[in-house]
Amino acid sequence: MNDLLERLSQCVENGKINQAAPYPPKLKGQPGADELCREALASGIPPDRILEEGLVSGMSRIGERFSQGKAFVPEMLLAARAMTAAMAHLKPFFTSGAVKRKGVFVVGTVAGDLHDIGKNIVAMMVEGAGWEVIDLGVDVKAERFLSEIEKHPRCVVGLSALLTTTMVNMEKIVSEIHARFPGHVVFVGGAPVNDDFRKKIGASFYAPDPQGAVEHLKTLAA
Amino acid sequence: MTTSRERLERVLEHRSADRIPVDLGATAVTGVHVRMVELLRDALGLPRQPVKVVEPYQMLGEVDEALCDALGVDVVGIPARKTLFGFENEGWREFRTFWGQVVLVPRGFETRLDEGGDLLIYPEGDRSARPSGRMPKSGFFFDTIVRQDPLDEGRLEPEDNLEEFTPLSEEDLAYWRRQIAHYRAKPRRGLVVSIGGTGLGDIALVPGPWMKNPRGVRDIAEWYVTTLTRPDYVHAIFERQTAVALANLEVAHRIIGDAAQVVFLCGTDFGTQDSQFCAPDTFRELYRPYYRRMNDWIHRHTSWKSFKHSCGAVEPLIESFLDAGFDILNPVQVNAVGMDPRLLKERYGDRLVFWGGGVDTQKVLPFARPEEVETHVLRQCEILGKDGGFVFNAVHNIQANVPVENVLAMIRAVKRANGEK
Repeated sequence: MNDLLERLSQCVENGKINQAAPYPPKLKGQPGADELCREALASGIPPDRILEEGLVSGMSRIGERFSQGKAFVPEMLLAARAMTAAMAHLKPFFTSGAVKRKGVFVVGTVAGDLHDIGKNIVAMMVEGAGWEVIDLGVDVKAERFLSEIEKHPRCVVGLSALLTTTMVNMEKIVSEIHARFPGHVVFVGGAPVNDDFRKKIGASFYAPDPQGAVEHLKTLAA
Repeated sequence: MTTSRERLERVLEHRSADRIPVDLGATAVTGVHVRMVELLRDALGLPRQPVKVVEPYQMLGEVDEALCDALGVDVVGIPARKTLFGFENEGWREFRTFWGQVVLVPRGFETRLDEGGDLLIYPEGDRSARPSGRMPKSGFFFDTIVRQDPLDEGRLEPEDNLEEFTPLSEEDLAYWRRQIAHYRAKPRRGLVVSIGGTGLGDIALVPGPWMKNPRGVRDIAEWYVTTLTRPDYVHAIFERQTAVALANLEVAHRIIGDAAQVVFLCGTDFGTQDSQFCAPDTFRELYRPYYRRMNDWIHRHTSWKSFKHSCGAVEPLIESFLDAGFDILNPVQVNAVGMDPRLLKERYGDRLVFWGGGVDTQKVLPFARPEEVETHVLRQCEILGKDGGFVFNAVHNIQANVPVENVLAMIRAVKRANGEK
């Protein structure tokens, strides 16, 4: 791998946002994801390669460490911020079509539920895996998911719930999506959700952690 | 005959009691949703009356003397003087909830509906302030509204995050005197006290929902990030917060004395469903020194046991919790990764009291059949109740959507585990 891209990947993995960022202490004063992404573009590295070998690779590494219990929510949040800082430089290439997204992921926390940390981490991980993410926020009703599916018929939908009281709303939303768009791919996740519940409500996929969702998305994009 | 209070004392000392003591409502993390309180009262044949919302954030209902007796409750609690939204529990009036229940709320429970139909609540009951909590119209309780002003790194001072940690006021002390006198008049049940201000970095409290204009780091994600990026800032907060907490513990102890057996010290969640919010090393470096100071003071100067609440898969942190001086773990989330009750009891049962874990509240209590609930609860009691060291409680508060038949099955099972027919 190109040395510059390896350093970019490490910055994303370790949450080194930019040169001024004090974290992590071992990289203090050194360029971060922001500067290295700019440098990579300036040196002529194709943006799709920067995305894959710098951003996707860094997010994948932190995601694996998170799955293994070796990295935690704060580290994930910082990695996502570093990824976002780099991604800002790649956005024009997505718009121009020079870099293609792997797909569209429409995500939201279900109606009645205002919790978003888990959903946000999944959204950041999926974006860091090269997908376009449409984040509908929290307390999202079925109609909003339906309207996004109409706009993006091939999108994957992700539903999050933290509460046993709102899991029932997840079931209603899946049912309404499938009534209008039979077989549409819907991922579910959140603390009280498990694979048995996923089967019961007829959703397509459940993963206990964000990296699991990213890995499964890869099979859909392939 | 053993009283509830004596029963609690025995199990806190890791000795067997005549039966497993039960808590349903002593703290803000071991309570019952106001809707469920009404359903239970109806099912148990208690007089129909609007139930008091004693904890407005999670809409917990009052488990009063009559309900305590009917449910076999052994422990009661005294909360801090003000609720999480900064008003006192007084001046009760009727309020109709989204789910159609008429409840009693305190005078300061000032709300309005927003344009989407959600219910907004105001800090200190002041409608001129920015609302600090929101209940979705299909929800059953509030969540905090984060009011994070833009952070200016150069001007960020620990004082900004310390505004809420103040010495107990004369009003607070008068409140504690009244509450303790009331308790001492009839001290049948065990007592847990929550004096407030002792939880370090509790994410439910970081947004400061009781404050009109919270300053400093108040956004939840920003706080988590701050534990990594601004460790000196966090240490400075914890250092000063601990100094205030120690002074408050001392003052409160002069009033409460041995009336209480347990002090609710910390509600900071360190666990997720399958992991932790920080590594054990981070806990030891960032939190342990301060909790150790508080717990050392408690153990040197009082007969209280120290209560630590943390949801989630915290098994990898339990040794550190013990090292920090905690005596009690709640809610013992037995379905989280690594939280197998047999393993917990075997590994920590002689050193840690399990206050909770009596029934799984993510899968069993809300969704299983009553007979399955009963079997599950009996098994939990058998495992966790062996040789004391266990106070029966669900894994966190009992929610509004649970079938009341399942809660009754839970109570039946505890009574069966305790040898009652």
